Amino acid sequence: MIAALPALALAVAAAAPAPSAEELARLTAANDILSKQVTLAKGKEFYLVLDPSERTLHLMLKGALLQQYRVSALEVGVPRVLYRARADASDWEGRVWEAGTLDPARPLDRVEVQAPPPTAEGTELEVKVPPTPEEKYPVPARYHVRFQGGLSIEVRPPGTESKRGFWGRLASGLGAWWADASAAAGAGRGDTVRLHVVLSKEDAASLYRALPPATKLLVLPPG
Amino acid sequence: MIEDPYTLGPDDEPRERRRWVSVVVPRPSRGKRTALFVGLAALAATVWIAAAGTGYAYAPAPTRAPVAPIDPPRDAAGAKRLQTKLQTQNKQLAAALKKMAPSGTYVVVDQTQNRLYVMKGQDVARTAVCSAGSGMVLKDSGGSRKWVFDTPRGVFKVRNKISNPIWKKPDWAFVEEGKPVPRNPADRFESGTLGKYALYLEDGYMIHGTLYTRLLGRSVTHGCIRLGPDDLQAVWDASPIGTPVFIF
Repeated sequence: MIAALPALALAVAAAAPAPSAEELARLTAANDILSKQVTLAKGKEFYLVLDPSERTLHLMLKGALLQQYRVSALEVGVPRVLYRARADASDWEGRVWEAGTLDPARPLDRVEVQAPPPTAEGTELEVKVPPTPEEKYPVPARYHVRFQGGLSIEVRPPGTESKRGFWGRLASGLGAWWADASAAAGAGRGDTVRLHVVLSKEDAASLYRALPPATKLLVLPPG
Repeated sequence: MIEDPYTLGPDDEPRERRRWVSVVVPRPSRGKRTALFVGLAALAATVWIAAAGTGYAYAPAPTRAPVAPIDPPRDAAGAKRLQTKLQTQNKQLAAALKKMAPSGTYVVVDQTQNRLYVMKGQDVARTAVCSAGSGMVLKDSGGSRKWVFDTPRGVFKVRNKISNPIWKKPDWAFVEEGKPVPRNPADRFESGTLGKYALYLEDGYMIHGTLYTRLLGRSVTHGCIRLGPDDLQAVWDASPIGTPVFIF
């Protein structure tokens, strides 16, 4: 009876219906994404994983979760000139995007101190209390994380604009339109695909202040 | 010499100067005014419509991604074999990914925002306000040596844990205080500065306590991570030797 079990199992397997081409394609795609995640986790660089299905953006290193940002909405933007799209809005998910950099860049102001000549008693240096990160790194009303190959993440912290007056908002809106229009028309560094990620104000500020340089991004395929 | 023709007449008599010139523009007819207004409005509308159609057009992200088709085996047995192979690969990859992530407790330090998190799996067990590297550059009085006080980014491990640690002051600590660097190593030791505990990472970097708790939350250190006494106790208790520490 026991000896007949493997043969029975083989018979059951043989009787099972053959998988469809879609099922095999789905498995292949899932393995491809897992393989990319493993490769990222083996690397030394920090990376972001954007999961449109779970609505999360994770900052990770070596497979460890460092920060989790809740994505309340996700939009895909493509450049267009006179209502004509200039890029294809596909092929952004399931890929590893390299070398993400903040735009505008987070300023790094280093203070250089010249030590006094040594004496037996020593010299007490005047110590200034440095600013807090919130004071040191004001978060812009709109910022991007730009990756090689033309993908960018655009983050607009909600509520930042409402603090400004009418003219401030108008100037900011016109400035943003001009930047977008010139980028779409190819006059500047145009993004081929732009993901507009809506984060809470705190998360948007945290991401801006904390994003390490040259971070990679993997966008998981939705569904 | 060029004479100003407007000052002298043909008989060398000064001309009458005209100071004001009146230009009378005939007022356009009502029909022309209307046409001008319509034309300007049309121009503005055209510019506005063109501007509205230039830039970035956004649409909600798709909820389902198309799956790239593959060329499957034509026979059922071949398709089943491929399915089994892909399922096995899937399990192996998922297991490899799970194995790479830290399974137990690990520490995460956000050095820009001066926050330390004790993580248990994907959950935050404790959040602490810390202080990380100031980014300051210190040059000695001769200008021959300089130190950059950054906290390094990357993954480290707790290599050693010492209670009531004694600090062996490096050269920069003396240079910063304007004191000569001692020749006798015994003159480098200082107790009490690092607080109750020190968790040694690598290359001389530590997680330790501080005398200056009012500066927690600000980037003031020489590269180490400083914590307040309660948070230091919690990190000490939660982090055995070998605990991964991720600094970003």
